[in-house]
Amino acid sequence: MKKTVIGLNLDHYVRALVGALILFVCILLPYASADGKTVSMLQALAARGNSYVDIILFGAVISAALSAVLGVVMFFKTTVGGVKLWQAVQAFSTAFFTLLLFSSKKILETAGLYGNFLNKNLGFGYWIGLIAAYFTLITVMRVTRTDRGYIILVILSVIWLFPVLWIVITSLRAEQGYYVGYFIPRGLTLKNYANLFSNQSVLPFGRWWLNTFIVAMCGCVFNTMIVLMTAFILSRTRFSGRKAFMNVLMIIGMFPGFMSLIAVYNILKGIGLNQSLLALIVVGAAGAAMGYHVTKGFFDTIPRALDEAAIIDGASRAQIFSKITLPLSKSIIVYIVLGGFLGAWSDYIFPSMLFGDKQSSYTVAVGLFWMTDFRRIDTYYTQFAAGAVLVALPIVILFVWLQRFYVEGLSGAVKG
Amino acid sequence: MSGQANSVIDKEIYKGRNFVTIFTKGDIFSKLSYIFCGLANIKNGQAVKGSIFLVLEILYLVFMKAKGLRLIADLMTLGTKTQSMVFNESVGIYETVQGDNSMLILLFGVVSVIVSAVFLAMWLFSIYSGERARARRELGKHVPGFIEDVRNLADKNIHFSFLTIPVIGLLTFTVTPLIYMILMAFTNYDSEHQPPGNLFDWVGLENFKTLLSSSDRLSATFWPVLGWTFIWGISATFSCYFGGMILAMIINSKGIKLKKFWRTIFVITYAIPGFISLRFVATMLGERGIFNVLLQKWGFTEGALPFLTNTMWARVSVIVVNFWIGVPVTMLMVSGILMNIPNELYESAKIDGAGPVTIFRKITFPYMLFVTTPYLIANLIGNFNNFNAIYFLTAGAPNSLDYFKGAGKTDLLVTWLYKLTRDSNDYNLASTIGIIIFVISAIFTLITFSRSGSMKNEEGFQ
Repeated sequence: MKKTVIGLNLDHYVRALVGALILFVCILLPYASADGKTVSMLQALAARGNSYVDIILFGAVISAALSAVLGVVMFFKTTVGGVKLWQAVQAFSTAFFTLLLFSSKKILETAGLYGNFLNKNLGFGYWIGLIAAYFTLITVMRVTRTDRGYIILVILSVIWLFPVLWIVITSLRAEQGYYVGYFIPRGLTLKNYANLFSNQSVLPFGRWWLNTFIVAMCGCVFNTMIVLMTAFILSRTRFSGRKAFMNVLMIIGMFPGFMSLIAVYNILKGIGLNQSLLALIVVGAAGAAMGYHVTKGFFDTIPRALDEAAIIDGASRAQIFSKITLPLSKSIIVYIVLGGFLGAWSDYIFPSMLFGDKQSSYTVAVGLFWMTDFRRIDTYYTQFAAGAVLVALPIVILFVWLQRFYVEGLSGAVKG
Repeated sequence: MSGQANSVIDKEIYKGRNFVTIFTKGDIFSKLSYIFCGLANIKNGQAVKGSIFLVLEILYLVFMKAKGLRLIADLMTLGTKTQSMVFNESVGIYETVQGDNSMLILLFGVVSVIVSAVFLAMWLFSIYSGERARARRELGKHVPGFIEDVRNLADKNIHFSFLTIPVIGLLTFTVTPLIYMILMAFTNYDSEHQPPGNLFDWVGLENFKTLLSSSDRLSATFWPVLGWTFIWGISATFSCYFGGMILAMIINSKGIKLKKFWRTIFVITYAIPGFISLRFVATMLGERGIFNVLLQKWGFTEGALPFLTNTMWARVSVIVVNFWIGVPVTMLMVSGILMNIPNELYESAKIDGAGPVTIFRKITFPYMLFVTTPYLIANLIGNFNNFNAIYFLTAGAPNSLDYFKGAGKTDLLVTWLYKLTRDSNDYNLASTIGIIIFVISAIFTLITFSRSGSMKNEEGFQ
């Protein structure tokens, strides 16, 4: 065949057609075989019980047949729209065949064909069909010049979002308890959220949330100021001892941070700050200078000539900082603020050591961790999920919103 | 007066005399200012500055006389009086008599040493400052007064004003505790020597010896934990690195529409605070967790899989879960760099007939590796010390009877360190491990330094 259609790459057409035909044949080949009994997909469909998952089997058979028909028709009368349609049908067929991997057990058991079905009992017809489905989809996408990356992205997205989905579902689940033998809850409720804030609850979650918010806000302000000032000095000024100071910071940074927390705790006790939120803020700000690297890297890329011109015009260094450097550093400031804010929400070790069993000062990280202890998890699992959503939601929104700055900050740190 | 001219004069002044010759060649005021700080300043027209030096010195001496000297002397012994029960005849009962508290002695001793170090720095500074005032006056240059000095804090000497708070913070809450903990590695402050009931004492390098080369259980725990730390660090870093790079390349390839949408999907897992996603995934991986429920419901397995309870399974699980969390980070970072690769490179490669695999092997990957080596090594160090991933996921479990108390098969050095301080109070061992971690990090950082152009040549961009 030497046909050409604008917008299509027909070199792969025959291969796609063969794939679609093999897929069609697989409907008739053994779908499952166990206990000395073998059934094809059509037989399984004929014997179906009364279960909503039968739709998947139904869809797989119909879409496979339709895809083969479309492939043959398009062979004789090739149009761009037709091949696009074929591609869509084939995408459905591939999706259904993949879903069969997760639903065959239920389909075959409700159909009464098998007692205790395991996926290793799936017949060779199914496996060849699965491979053929993906092969056909890929080759059809080659024909339509669509990026095959979509297949990988869809599969990865499902895997990546699955745990997130489970957190959200659990937080809305009416049935309490850690163990449930199913994925979709029997009943939905918002009570898990309400319970976190109700007065009868033993968990002062509202208090924890507020504590963390206060620490995060103060941390943002102080840490950002300290990081900006340190990075500015180390990047824009030269003085004796500068290199030594940077080396000392680097050496300190190589020790595992929480090794010295017990000493920090004793010092805080000495100045009477233990078990208070202020201690968290102070200690956070005190160590903030250690994180100057990324910011300094960013400041380093601002041309020196700007500073020199300002000095000639009579500006002081403090004015250069506030009038030139800061206005040029919007993305890095967002990066630090976001980092500081996030850090306060997920910091666990130091607050847990600082507050011990003083529950009213807990931050959400300590509180939520306390809830997942194996002695309490059965009681608090759904509430834990609700709390997790309440903590994660604002951060995710903030993050998605400010993503661009974060990327700029990150990639600024590693260039060259 | 411009900064340029100033620094030229400064250079001229300092060429003349150094720390020793300031004393030998100086006049009587310069000589005396080695004992009475600030005298040279006072004499040379900087009365306020000189007086401040003098007052600070007096304060320091008073502190040393009242407390400091004894505190530093106590460091030698770490306390001699054990807490004991003494019969009080007047009341007729046994009473506890407070002994020395080795821990506080060590802490306060370190504080005194730090205060002394700070004073030493001020002393040196005052000598040079006095010398500068003298030289300026003798050269007939203007000697800045106090007001002018203060004004300079916003300009020429801005590093003093901007760095004061960070330095004080670091000294109090980072340096002091760190020195205290480092010293602890050379004591026997373990679960059997807990103050205030007991004293602990200096033991030299004993802890390092038992940890590294004794035949007992400690050493039999240390080496396997170190080995797993390395395996974990390398597999976690490289799996996320390549995974993230491939994902970024897919999302950034020309044919993909809605790039921002796809990126956001993956960013969601990164934006959820680590402790939440890790704790939650840990519950999902449990024996009755949702993964096991679904695997059985879907007909993949007949019984529950030991995701977190079998050593091999648990180790693979933590690496896989870390992959789930780590890939989006690399993806975000790599996205920026990928866009910087010159497009001509790709086009000419395509004209020469290179396939996507060849392009990746010959262009994308070498370029990425070149740019991201420092990041990669920093990431490797970060993963050796990745406390969160392990502690929130398995807390080191499954525990093993072959290991020293509490350590488990997925414990990294850091999580073991944390358990030693929190659960069994073996601070000496924890500090020893901390120092070993430091040595490992230092070695890798040195490699980064020798490899990376951006660290060697920091002026390159300006």
